[in-house]
Amino acid sequence: MASGRLGGLASPLMRQLARQLAQAVPVLLIVAVLTFFLMHLLPGDPAVLIAGPEASREAVAQIRTQLGLDLPLHEQLFVWFTHLARGDLGRSLVLNQPVTEAVLERLPVTMSLALISFALTLPLGIGAGVLAACFRNTWFDAFVMLLALIGVSAPSFWIAILSVLLFSVSLGWLPSAGYVPIAQGMWPWFAALLQPALILALFQIGFLARITRSAMLDVLDQDFIRTARAKGVSEWKTISKHAFRNTLIPVVTVCGIIFSLLVGGSVVIEQVFALPGIGRLIVQAIIGRDYPVVQGTLLLLGFVFVLLNLAIDVLYTFIDPRIRYG
Amino acid sequence: MISRNVSRAVLATALVAALAVDTASAQQPRKGGTLTYANVSGLGTQDPHVAAAVVELEPINHIFEGLVAMGEDYEAKPSIASKWEVSPDATTFTFTLRQGVKFHNGKVLTSADVLASYQRYQQVSPNKSQLASVESFTAPDPHTFIIKLKEPNAVFVEVLKTPTYPFSILPAEQKDKPAREVEIIGTGPFRLGEWVRDGHLTMRRFDDYSIDTARPGIDGLAGRKTVHLDAVRYNFVPEANARVAALQSGGADHISNVPPDTAKRIAGQPNVHIMKVIPFCQQTFIMHTQQAPTNNLLIRQAIQAVFDVDDMIAVSMPDAERNPAMVFKTSPYYQPELGAKYYDIKSVAKAKALLTQAGYKGEKVVLMTNASYSYMRDSTVFLVEALKAAGVTTEVSMVDWPTNVSNMQSGNGGWNITVTGFCSGPLLGPQQWRPLLVGFPQVKGDTVIDENYTKFFSSVELAKRKEAWLAIEERVLSQAYMVKVSDMPDLRGHNGKFEGLKPYYFTRFWDVWQK
Repeated sequence: MASGRLGGLASPLMRQLARQLAQAVPVLLIVAVLTFFLMHLLPGDPAVLIAGPEASREAVAQIRTQLGLDLPLHEQLFVWFTHLARGDLGRSLVLNQPVTEAVLERLPVTMSLALISFALTLPLGIGAGVLAACFRNTWFDAFVMLLALIGVSAPSFWIAILSVLLFSVSLGWLPSAGYVPIAQGMWPWFAALLQPALILALFQIGFLARITRSAMLDVLDQDFIRTARAKGVSEWKTISKHAFRNTLIPVVTVCGIIFSLLVGGSVVIEQVFALPGIGRLIVQAIIGRDYPVVQGTLLLLGFVFVLLNLAIDVLYTFIDPRIRYG
Repeated sequence: MISRNVSRAVLATALVAALAVDTASAQQPRKGGTLTYANVSGLGTQDPHVAAAVVELEPINHIFEGLVAMGEDYEAKPSIASKWEVSPDATTFTFTLRQGVKFHNGKVLTSADVLASYQRYQQVSPNKSQLASVESFTAPDPHTFIIKLKEPNAVFVEVLKTPTYPFSILPAEQKDKPAREVEIIGTGPFRLGEWVRDGHLTMRRFDDYSIDTARPGIDGLAGRKTVHLDAVRYNFVPEANARVAALQSGGADHISNVPPDTAKRIAGQPNVHIMKVIPFCQQTFIMHTQQAPTNNLLIRQAIQAVFDVDDMIAVSMPDAERNPAMVFKTSPYYQPELGAKYYDIKSVAKAKALLTQAGYKGEKVVLMTNASYSYMRDSTVFLVEALKAAGVTTEVSMVDWPTNVSNMQSGNGGWNITVTGFCSGPLLGPQQWRPLLVGFPQVKGDTVIDENYTKFFSSVELAKRKEAWLAIEERVLSQAYMVKVSDMPDLRGHNGKFEGLKPYYFTRFWDVWQK
């Protein structure tokens, strides 16, 4: 039965995916051009930053020549696009390594952080939202929504500093900063990421809880839920089998957005916890006006977001059999 | 009773003896241990010939060495060269190299390596203009290296001590390596271990290091360097609060750049010791001489007249010290009397009189500053209020540091006054100020400065060089190209588990050991 459904879907779904991928090309092109010009419009010369405020004009000029920054802007854009066409995102002005290499080196850190955050967000956010909806207008509902509001509103850097003071300085339970690769042990890796991942997840847990509660409340008011209850279906079964499944479409959409936000939100958290990930790479690159790194990383992130959206579209078809592409 | 007293006495003696032994053993250097250092940011390069940032230079100082190096008093001291001779006309410099110095790859250093390194420097270093007057480099034998200049330069050896773009010696095989692409092989007391960009860098003790036994002890970046630690790990932690938390929680043994407010808050806590390094940088306001209305000397002098140094220090950097001179107090060129004429004038009446004389009609004066460095922002806000009191129309242009520093160098951005911290110029002496003074577009074509620099470089006697420097300082300050505020400190923290960490411009890890 399932394979039959898959077989029936494959062709129109693949066509839809191919169409969406093709649509992504001009989007990424626009991202590339906009990022290039936005970065170059920013005042601040990378050569001056590399040379330092006390460098001579000759020193700055020498660095500009070494880095190709003395070329006219349109030539720099042309050079960058020529490299892009070959799959080369360019070379960092500051790190002295290819942008692709710089991103790939840091990707495990950011993905580890995002995945742990995601793993915390899903059960806590959805669980809190479902329970708040089931116990609507009770103290429990108010309490969960208050926590969600705090999670959504409190600045993550502030929570991070308080958390470090409590869990690292006072209690000494978790490291205050730094990253340990998983190759050096599962627990050190997890311990290094737990605190930043939880803080990164706080906002998303609150966000997801609110969305889930709202979707759940909509479903719980539907006729089929009343019918199920009238038929004598147990409350647990009504919630888990009938109500929850029908809240999944908005929840999955939001989960896709949440994963993107977790990757994007790592910018602040990686900076505070000294995690050598992509967020920190972007921050350092913007501060140092490292044009190729900012351009290349944003382009790659844009591509990842396009792929995420495609993955969510595919997921829809499995969650709701009524959705068909063609 | 007697026996109880005797027991107590024996116990007390034993305890005192144990404590004494413990203290003595803590003071006695011993090998081993890894020190973790939380520093402000990651490194772009470890190629010494193109490195200018302090975070890059600190490991470079441990891994590489030059012919000469900065001593404890920041003067040039022997390093790879055991001695040097200067010809009477200050054009020929003959360096005798120490024998048996080894690179980290086991190769013995000779003058061929020195020659190749200087030749590479001439190709790739942004600081290569310092070698523009070189007529020739020669290596007549394995232990002699000669530099001949086209024109006299009495402070040429002082130029070579610079820690910014250091004149480090690399193996000759690296001669043709492009900028930032050398293998990290030096002759220093530490060798590179692991380097994870944006993450951490580890340096390990170089067991074959050739200690300069002719020197009595530690001396700045030169002297007798003995390494006791097995390794030093630099963790790159950009957030000040995270660095402090790492120190408090045992994640770091030593941290850099502690904000003054935080230092006050944590001082005295268990395992927290604050180390003050002063002088570190100078706080200076720069005036744009090509931008109206500060292209008018009288208006610049009016602005100079409103400065109240004590209040500005209190507002922006309470640990800073007064110093009217453009060099630090340790410098042989330190002559504060002249600078005092233009320092801390704090006279609104004088400013108003100068503005009237200048025919000032309320033209806007733009003060460019940034939020990246709080002392720059706070002192600018303070100056705005002082200028308002004198009747000057002001506007603050708040930008980020990269914009601020780029505009300061280029003269773009429509600013009249900006603020910065100068570090290497005041530290290394007049020769280091030169590219700054003649290079900034806002101080254009000043023949008085040029002539006095010619005199400075050609004078063999220190007295004459001091005279020339005094004339340069007089010119800079009397023309109000810049207004000096203070000598600023750098605050660092450590947990007291290591002995031998001494305040110095650069953090050093030789002659440091675990208690």
